Amino acid sequence: MVGNRIVSAPTLSPRSLRHRRRCRSFEFRPSLPPTTYSLRPTPRRLRPPAGSPVSPELIAMAAVELKNQLNAHIASMFAAGFLDKQFQELQMLQDDGSSPGFVSEVVGLFIDDAEKITGLIAGLLDQPVVDFDKVDALVHQLKGSSASVGAQRVKLSCEQFHSYYEAKNRDGCVMALALLRNEFYDSRSKFQTMFQLEQQIEACS
Amino acid sequence: MTSYVEGSPVKALIVEDMAVDTLVLSTMLRKFHCEIIVAKNGKEAVQMFLEGKKFDIIFCDKDMPVMSGPEAIEKIHALGETHVKIVGVSASDNAQEAFMSAGADEFVPKPMKLDVVRAMIQEVINKKTNDMV
Repeated sequence: MVGNRIVSAPTLSPRSLRHRRRCRSFEFRPSLPPTTYSLRPTPRRLRPPAGSPVSPELIAMAAVELKNQLNAHIASMFAAGFLDKQFQELQMLQDDGSSPGFVSEVVGLFIDDAEKITGLIAGLLDQPVVDFDKVDALVHQLKGSSASVGAQRVKLSCEQFHSYYEAKNRDGCVMALALLRNEFYDSRSKFQTMFQLEQQIEACS
Repeated sequence: MTSYVEGSPVKALIVEDMAVDTLVLSTMLRKFHCEIIVAKNGKEAVQMFLEGKKFDIIFCDKDMPVMSGPEAIEKIHALGETHVKIVGVSASDNAQEAFMSAGADEFVPKPMKLDVVRAMIQEVINKKTNDMV
């Protein structure tokens, strides 16, 4: 009521109706204090038509699309030299179904090893007197594990490192370590994208 | 291919300090139904023989903490364990000479391939079968 007059609710325009429908799709989190409501919109692409469950056909289509993305991503990793044939050996070991999750497990171990080893090498190169034999041993370890997972760029970076610690060249080793780390970080990022896609595919099944 | 010879699986010892290589090789060996035990260095491997354990095949890395692969192979032979097939495995360029001098039967460069492992296991099976005849 406005004063003595009854004011009827205005008729909503189609635009307003659409806005109201959009607002209803926002999720309300009652656990937060009333004055700090947090709204998280449901992404439009994942929102099913109002009132209907997600159809198996839609899920299957999403899975196919994700598999195509994954295959394209792996193909690009091979083309850019991030991976070599050894990675295909690992995939073969997994593909017959007897070792699910094998590739992600072994690549995860490689990533952990590489992070630890590059940190140790950096520590050795920081010392007043560099123990090049230890640097040699660590680079050799990383070369071996990168070869075992097919991480070709990391393996090649380890091979390039060799001449600098053979010559006991600290500055050369520092530079080689920086290059090695770059190749490792790039490879790690590619692997992480691969596994995220695999997880999304798994979620569709 | 089955690794069973009249109910007896091929017993494989992996001597390896790097988890990546251990996982890859053990996954390959499981394809052939091998019974797998892992030692993280040469000293652990020798200790297993001292405890009376028996193996049909050993896959041994070269550079490991505590005791290297070639040193472990020499000690295993010194214990009289000459029936077991010993395979040296390494990514090092000069590893083959070190392994063969220590008495290894074969050397395989890393990374290992499934076909190579299959051939070795088949060789062990054939030998066990011949020994039983």
